[in-house]
Order: sequence, then C-alpha cells, then structure tokens
Amino acid sequence: MVPLENYLVLSAIIFSLGVYGVLARRNAVLVLMSIELMLNAVSLNFIAFAAYLDPGKITGAIFAVFVITVAAAEVGLALAIVIRLFRNRATSNVDEAAIMKW
Amino acid sequence: MATEVLWWIFAAAIALLSAGVVFSRSIIHSAIFLIGSLAGVGAMYIFLQMEFLALVQFLIYGGAVTVLILLALMLTRPDAPGHRQSLNGTQQPFALLVGAGLMVILFAVITGTTWPGSDIESLTEVPLTLVSQRLFEDFGAPFVIASALLLVALVGAIILARQEEGE
Repeated sequence: MVPLENYLVLSAIIFSLGVYGVLARRNAVLVLMSIELMLNAVSLNFIAFAAYLDPGKITGAIFAVFVITVAAAEVGLALAIVIRLFRNRATSNVDEAAIMKW
Repeated sequence: MATEVLWWIFAAAIALLSAGVVFSRSIIHSAIFLIGSLAGVGAMYIFLQMEFLALVQFLIYGGAVTVLILLALMLTRPDAPGHRQSLNGTQQPFALLVGAGLMVILFAVITGTTWPGSDIESLTEVPLTLVSQRLFEDFGAPFVIASALLLVALVGAIILARQEEGE
C-alpha cells in the first residue's frame, strides 16, 4: 500500500519540472507541453486526495474531469494561435512575438 | 507488495519522462516523452482505483492532445533548416533555480505535514455509477457549462487557424 505522500511527492516533481519548462523554453509548443505537465500534476493530486480521503464522494476526481476538459480546450486554442503566429511571422519563438509588449 | 514495486517503477518512469520533456534538445523527442509521461499518470489513476479517469486520460491526453501537439509541430517545422536555434532562452539558469526552489519548498511542506488517511490499508474501489452520479446529478450544471466552453473554444480555434481569403 503506497502512502498518500508518495503521490504528492511525485506530483510535486512533475509540477516543478513543468514550471522550469514554462520559464526556460522559448518555443511556444514546448511551453504548452510544460503547461500540460503542470495540469497533469494537479489532476494527479486531486485524484490522489479523492481516492484516499474522500472515497465515498470523490469530489476531487470530478474536479479532475473538469481540469482535463479545460486543458483540452486550452490546447486546441493555443495551438491555433501558434499556427496563426507561424503563418504571420514565420516563427514559433515566444520572444519574437512581442508585438503586444510595451 | 508486487503492486508497490510496480508503483515505484511507474513513478520513476514518469519522473524521467517528464524530465525528458523539459530537458530534451529535440522538440519532437519532447513530444514523444510527453506521451509517455501522460500515459504514466494514467497508470497512476489505475493504482488509485479510478479506472474511468484512467480511460479518459489515455483517450484525451494520450490520443487527442498529443496528436494535436505533433500536428502543430509538423505545421510550424521547428527543426527545419533556417529555424535552428536554441530551445532555451538566456533566462534558463534562473528558471532552473525557480524550479529547483519550488521543488525543495514542496518537498519540505509535504514531508513536514502529517496527512490524514495514512492508516488506510487499501483503497476502496470506485464504482462507475458513483462517478456518473456525481458528475451528472451533483455537478450537472458545471458539466453543461464545461461542454459549452469546449465547444466555443474549439470553434474559436477553427476560426483562428482557418486560411482566410486572399492570404
């Protein structure tokens, strides 16, 4: 029987790697992949808490369903923006897409 | 006991694959590592007795999201000649610092807290009827709103990515 802490530590590792990826990477698609990692870490936490502490109601698991829904919507939109950006400016580097930065 | 060994193998695989996503030098390799990492998290859901969510994870993340990402990579050709540049920015050392710092803080908090439920011997199985009951009865309105959000977002994505006349 694996204790709850193990899931939390694993989730913390994935989340920290995701934070590093978002900050370090410059390609928009790679930033998006790192965001997916972070969202996954959060769902894992939700579901671990639901399974250990709330098995009769599993509210955390329902939250995870919504997290997955929003992540799917976000990935679709973000990739459309990336393709648009590439078509207009021939780059997918987020540093070069600074037209809205003052 | 066998389950625990399997858990540690999966946990190590997920950690390594996630590290591969953010440290890999090739963007395509990153995408492949991401598929493995997401599938591994799906396996974790099976360890947590949430078979339905594992299925959702495999289908949506392992299938749809990764295919979308690979398609976007193909359309933007980041590895094509002329686009060769470092995948990391100059701020990479600071990003490493922030990531490592966050990990240390989270570890300290997790190990320093006594979590309830550490005396549980085994997880109770979650029947699929409970999931559907909670999702469609108790969270019915959020569910409908979430589906509307998904519809609007995907229609918006199509309009954004569409080739316009005279372009």
